[in-house]
Amino acid sequence: MAPRSLLDVDDLSPEELVGVLDRAVAFRDVLPPRDLLAGVPVLNLFFEASTRTATSFSLAEQRVGADIISFAPGASSLGKGETIADTALTLRGIGVRVIVVRHEESGFARRLADSFDGHVINAGDGTHAHPTQALLDLMTLRQEFARFDGLRLAIVGDILHSRVARSNIVGMSALGMEVTLVGPATLLPDSFAAAGVRVERDLDAVLPGLDAVMMLRIQRERISGGLLPLLDDYTQRYQLNRARLRSLRNDAIILHPGPYNRGVELTDDVLDDPRSRYVAQVHNGVFVRMAVLDLLVNGAAIPA
Amino acid sequence: MKTLVRGGRLIDPAQGIDAQRDVLIENGFVVAIGEHLDASHARVVDATNAVVAPGFIDMHVHLREPGQTHKETIASGTAAAVAGGFASVACMPNTEPALDSAAIVSEVVRRAEIAGLARVYPIGAITKARAGIELAPYHLLADAGCVAFSDDGATPRNARILRNAARYASDLPHVFISHCEDADLKGDAVMNEGGPSMRLGLEGAPGLAEDVIVARDLLVAADTRKAWHIAHVSTATSLDLIRWSRARGVPVTCEVTPHHVVFLDDRFDDYRADSKVSPPLRAASDREALRNAVYDGTIDVFATDHAPHGLDEKAQLLSVAPVGFSGLEIALGGYALAFPDLPLARFVTLLSTNPARILGVPGGTLAVGSCGDVSVFADRAWTVDARLFRSKGKNTPFDGMTLPRRAIATIVEGAVVFEHGRVLPRDEVPA
Repeated sequence: MAPRSLLDVDDLSPEELVGVLDRAVAFRDVLPPRDLLAGVPVLNLFFEASTRTATSFSLAEQRVGADIISFAPGASSLGKGETIADTALTLRGIGVRVIVVRHEESGFARRLADSFDGHVINAGDGTHAHPTQALLDLMTLRQEFARFDGLRLAIVGDILHSRVARSNIVGMSALGMEVTLVGPATLLPDSFAAAGVRVERDLDAVLPGLDAVMMLRIQRERISGGLLPLLDDYTQRYQLNRARLRSLRNDAIILHPGPYNRGVELTDDVLDDPRSRYVAQVHNGVFVRMAVLDLLVNGAAIPA
Repeated sequence: MKTLVRGGRLIDPAQGIDAQRDVLIENGFVVAIGEHLDASHARVVDATNAVVAPGFIDMHVHLREPGQTHKETIASGTAAAVAGGFASVACMPNTEPALDSAAIVSEVVRRAEIAGLARVYPIGAITKARAGIELAPYHLLADAGCVAFSDDGATPRNARILRNAARYASDLPHVFISHCEDADLKGDAVMNEGGPSMRLGLEGAPGLAEDVIVARDLLVAADTRKAWHIAHVSTATSLDLIRWSRARGVPVTCEVTPHHVVFLDDRFDDYRADSKVSPPLRAASDREALRNAVYDGTIDVFATDHAPHGLDEKAQLLSVAPVGFSGLEIALGGYALAFPDLPLARFVTLLSTNPARILGVPGGTLAVGSCGDVSVFADRAWTVDARLFRSKGKNTPFDGMTLPRRAIATIVEGAVVFEHGRVLPRDEVPA
């Protein structure tokens, strides 16, 4: 049975996960008729600003024929003290069947799903999870390597504050990939090793053995927050640049969840590098989201 | 007025008694202990198959009055106390306004007398408005009824202020009570820092946030020779620091709470705030150290940190929901659950004898001539239903659990204020 909501990647069994990717690939090859979610009211509830994810979800929803509702939650009742449960009840009463939600607080999607009698898709909750991003990363990896088992990938940078990293750790581990996390201890505490992944401090030692490297954005507020010294110190250790590109294998690929900070976690050379897959990632995102909407609302994937 | 507690097993560690004894109370004081005492003209409390102990004293509760009476009132909080087996409670000063003036403290004492249930001992603030900047008027607060001083929930960030507070109050016997958490190390934490917080993407407070303040406050205690009490110890390192201080002769005592010795930091997968508390529930290694410290005598007191909140407040997002939950009505059961092998004499010592001594208040023993406060309890399993709490705070991580021990009757100054599951206010307040 398909899960009711997608709050993190582990709401899907490995088989369901691969099924979603299969479905997404089928949609990418041939667009389905625009009636998979005909007449299903889908609410886009983005408490936190988003360009790529919100646009991608909107396009995906249109391509499956959903009735799309979007509003600015900054002025919603939730901000006026209405409880999550009351909001969920109201939205369901209005007729909303699917909520795509992004919120700055970890666990918001879970709290909403626990009181909403419908489907919730987590489009990013705080530093916790961003499952559709992880799915599009996995889709991009499979497109490249046609397998997951034994693939060696490193996630580099601000792991502590990254919902993309957390969801990918969950999904990639479940699929048998070897995940290495790389970053300074303030942004990557040793306790991440508990998740069954390796924690490393030396990017140069890790790079040559990788099939893929995922570079996370470094936000400048980490400096004022006392977690990072001068950016120069960080870039000297962890920036992907022309010199480090030389130690990455020719058949390896570079992933980035975006948005970039050019000159911080990576340099322009990386974006121009043929191994960079940023465009493929965002392209795949639309189809992954169509597949997720289809799975949650219509149940287990119909054979394509 | 005579009250006879009949047929129970009397455990009074202060007198070294563990035997079948009746206890006779007259005009608020114990007048006789013995076998088959005369029951004529006495209100009889049947303690058959139960344990009779000197009245339990919870030295760490939040009664929320004045200022937050939607969470708790002195009346509802003391009803919860006697129903939970406590004859006395010491209430923390984080009310609105704070307990930092004689007028407010006197009002708390007056309202407690009107409620006519448990004894209420106010704990005065260490600094004005608990802001950590100006000293509170310790002697005026003591005269108004305060039995200790604390800025609970906060700690003066400025060690110079804390040292001056302890020096200025050094001529008073009143203990200083520290809630030890470093605000900078804690940050915006909603739980313990560790594997679960990393996995859930939630900000965690490291044990270090507690340890550094425990260390600082114990050093201030050593410097000022002020009697000091560390509230709700939650880490192994804090315990080591306390042992180290004691070995150096520092007059320090400490307490645990039921939740820290029962639960772990694995209760946040649903992102609800039901288990959000300060200091946070910790990892297994810390809980193990706390349990061992109860058995080895490092821990002096079983407290509750009873911190009631409205259900709607606790239902908010984890980041904004308040810390704490009700504790008075689950304490005996919670402690019995965590410490099935603890001798009953130690159980009574941690709930009565020691808190009475630390706070310098009446009770802690049922020796003839001492105050007629009695807690009767029994090892009878019951299932917690927080909706039935007398406290206005209907929230506890113990909700739905089966606990092995419960209060049977509570007597304050000879008046039976809880028996047969009912809270019974005193008709009049003895002088």
